[in-house]
Amino acid sequence: MLHSFTFHAIAAGIAIVLIAIVLVLRAPKIVSHLMFKYLRKRRIAWVSLVAVMLCTAMVIVVISVMGGWLRMFRETYHGITGDIVVGRQSLAGFPYYQEMLDRIQKLPEVAGAVPALRTFGLINIDGQIHDGVQVIGYPLEKMHSVSQFRHSLVRQYSDCKETLDDPKATPEEKAKAKSILNAPASFKHVYTDDLYKAIQPNMDPDTMPGMIVGASLVGLNKRPSDEAGAGKPDYIRPEEVDLYARWAQLTVMGVSDRRVSIDLRDKSERRFWIVDASRTKVWQYDSQTVYIPFDVMQEMLNMKETKVTDAKTGQEEVLPARTTDITVGIKPDADLYATRDKVRQIVDDVLANHKIEFFRDPVTTRSWEEVNAKFIGAVEKEKILVTMLFAVISVVAIFLIFCIFYMIVVEKTRDIGIIKSVGATSNDVAGVFVGYGLAIGIVGGAMGLLSGYVFIHFINQIHAWVGRTFGFTMWDAETYAFDTIPNTMNPKEVTVIVTVAILSALIGALVPAWIAARKNPVESLRWE
Amino acid sequence: MTKTVQSISTQSSANGAILRASGLKKSFRMGDSSVVVLKQVDLTIRPGEFLAIEGRSGSGKSTLLHILGALDEADAGTVEYDGRDIASLSARARSELRNSQFGFVFQFYHLLPELNVLENTMLAAMVKNSWLRFRSNKPQIRKRAIEVLEQLGMEHRLKHRPAQLSGGERQRVAIGRALMNGPRVLLADEPTGNLDSETGRQIMAVLEKLHREQQQTIVMVTHDRSIAHRADRVLVLREGRLEKPADVSKQNPAQGPDDE
Repeated sequence: MLHSFTFHAIAAGIAIVLIAIVLVLRAPKIVSHLMFKYLRKRRIAWVSLVAVMLCTAMVIVVISVMGGWLRMFRETYHGITGDIVVGRQSLAGFPYYQEMLDRIQKLPEVAGAVPALRTFGLINIDGQIHDGVQVIGYPLEKMHSVSQFRHSLVRQYSDCKETLDDPKATPEEKAKAKSILNAPASFKHVYTDDLYKAIQPNMDPDTMPGMIVGASLVGLNKRPSDEAGAGKPDYIRPEEVDLYARWAQLTVMGVSDRRVSIDLRDKSERRFWIVDASRTKVWQYDSQTVYIPFDVMQEMLNMKETKVTDAKTGQEEVLPARTTDITVGIKPDADLYATRDKVRQIVDDVLANHKIEFFRDPVTTRSWEEVNAKFIGAVEKEKILVTMLFAVISVVAIFLIFCIFYMIVVEKTRDIGIIKSVGATSNDVAGVFVGYGLAIGIVGGAMGLLSGYVFIHFINQIHAWVGRTFGFTMWDAETYAFDTIPNTMNPKEVTVIVTVAILSALIGALVPAWIAARKNPVESLRWE
Repeated sequence: MTKTVQSISTQSSANGAILRASGLKKSFRMGDSSVVVLKQVDLTIRPGEFLAIEGRSGSGKSTLLHILGALDEADAGTVEYDGRDIASLSARARSELRNSQFGFVFQFYHLLPELNVLENTMLAAMVKNSWLRFRSNKPQIRKRAIEVLEQLGMEHRLKHRPAQLSGGERQRVAIGRALMNGPRVLLADEPTGNLDSETGRQIMAVLEKLHREQQQTIVMVTHDRSIAHRADRVLVLREGRLEKPADVSKQNPAQGPDDE
């Protein structure tokens, strides 16, 4: 519906301008002549011009920022989530995932499918940071086929990308950066065991896997709000200390469907070396999440395949390996929802074959849009709300134009009588004021477009300047999930806004024009 | 449009009148009461005639002029232009009449303050021609406007605005505007009413010259008897009716008030 509205708005805008030009060319010369004279000599009309300009610019800025934000939001969430997620809310997860993976990967639409684990834990980084975190277990070497997660890695990806963009970098540096960029990401240690031993003599580096931490968790943010000197906690800063020479101790609890209560014996603790930081630009990931290898996490949570012996009957039973999520990446030309349905069919099939049914917490298969609907929907609603608020404010412009035009009509009553006495028709008189409104709409809309464009283009610089000068930060990275204000304009939206601006000016001019047209020439001539 | 005018002209030769008003009535509402300004007006205007209608202020002479010029409508009675009832014409046709057949001159000049002398003079041409036609005919239109202004001695003030002109000069420009499209009838409403007597005499000399040299048909209304009597024929509007003036020295005995 929105699409057809857009189309109609653009068509209406073009039609109005074309019809206006034809009418002006065919109308008596006096119409355009007086219109431009009044436009130039009546300064009060410029007020309505400025009103149209400001309203146009305002709505363009709001829609562009909100729209850009929504787009970034969607892209980022999509990038982290992957295309389709099979998951279960319960941290106990679901079994037979390997069977599902094998069958999902055989689908022609699927580019890749990997298991992922999700739980919550406590982290102690270098004895300095103690925090509760979301823990995610990824088989990092396969992640590139399903999501853009590796693009968030500061050391393995962002720094390499900067090196590639840096004109001062040597060819060798660039070649090295390129090879790292093309390789899959990994949890490999950054330094040699000798170096780790030198740093922490009482720890055994071999037993310590790699961990990726959220960039904000360790203060690796490049937020403008930091420049403004807002009171952020002083975390470890990479310029002060080498992040990759830090250890982190993680505590998690294993959860199983087989037990009602949580058993302290399921507590698991392990030390890791920090090997990278992840900067997804989504605040809750960057400030509250750590990533560890899938295998390590599965072991810590007791979710690997295990043999148990029933204490009473002495019967041996094999408990299958479990995971909490499967992330599926689809091929670029594949249909998201058709593929989701196929994946869902496989999942249901596998669970049915093994006679597994979760009554309270079923395994769901959802697209990335469905997974993030809560967040994306909130932003979408916010965009609509803010746009409507500003549109209502813009209606004020219509009334302003109406008032100013009415004033001009009253002031020009005698002129109307004069031109009628030399043979102008009521249509000609109306034409002067309708044309006047149209001209103000077109010029005001164009100026609004220009000023909106300039403002949007420099919005981050303006924001930084305001922050520096007045110590006021409007765009809080923690609230809006992104550290720069989006500054792209959607040509379709902008066309609709400018068209509506022109139409508004026209509507504001119509009633005064009608009043002017039906004025009795004799009475008008007597007007003092 | 030219065709219409020509066909009307051929009709006019039949009865010899450009404008013929019969049984005109007009009243205005003033709050609860209504004031009758024209009770029974009958009038015939022949081509090339200079007619003055004398009347006190408020006698309805301006209203009569507006009705004759298709700018206002009578409550009853008809106005025939070239034998055709103006009231039967469409609004557009009446506008065309005002544009090409009639030229109005007002007491308070009524020039557009934003336009200069030349633009004010070309006003009727700007109404007549579309933007495109005005553009392609601009040299001729401009030439005609300057020609008219030369007749009135205003050719040296083309770029001046009305505010920069004296009263007499403004009235000359207003006459120029009325003559721009070569109207058959010039309708002048107290053309000297806002001027001192010397300037008023000059404006009258302009009208007389137009009448004498170009056989311009002129209908002038005024309250000033001395001005009125410079016309060929004078009628007095009194209590809503047209009468012969008491002093008939200027009256051509061959032409009485319209009594048909």
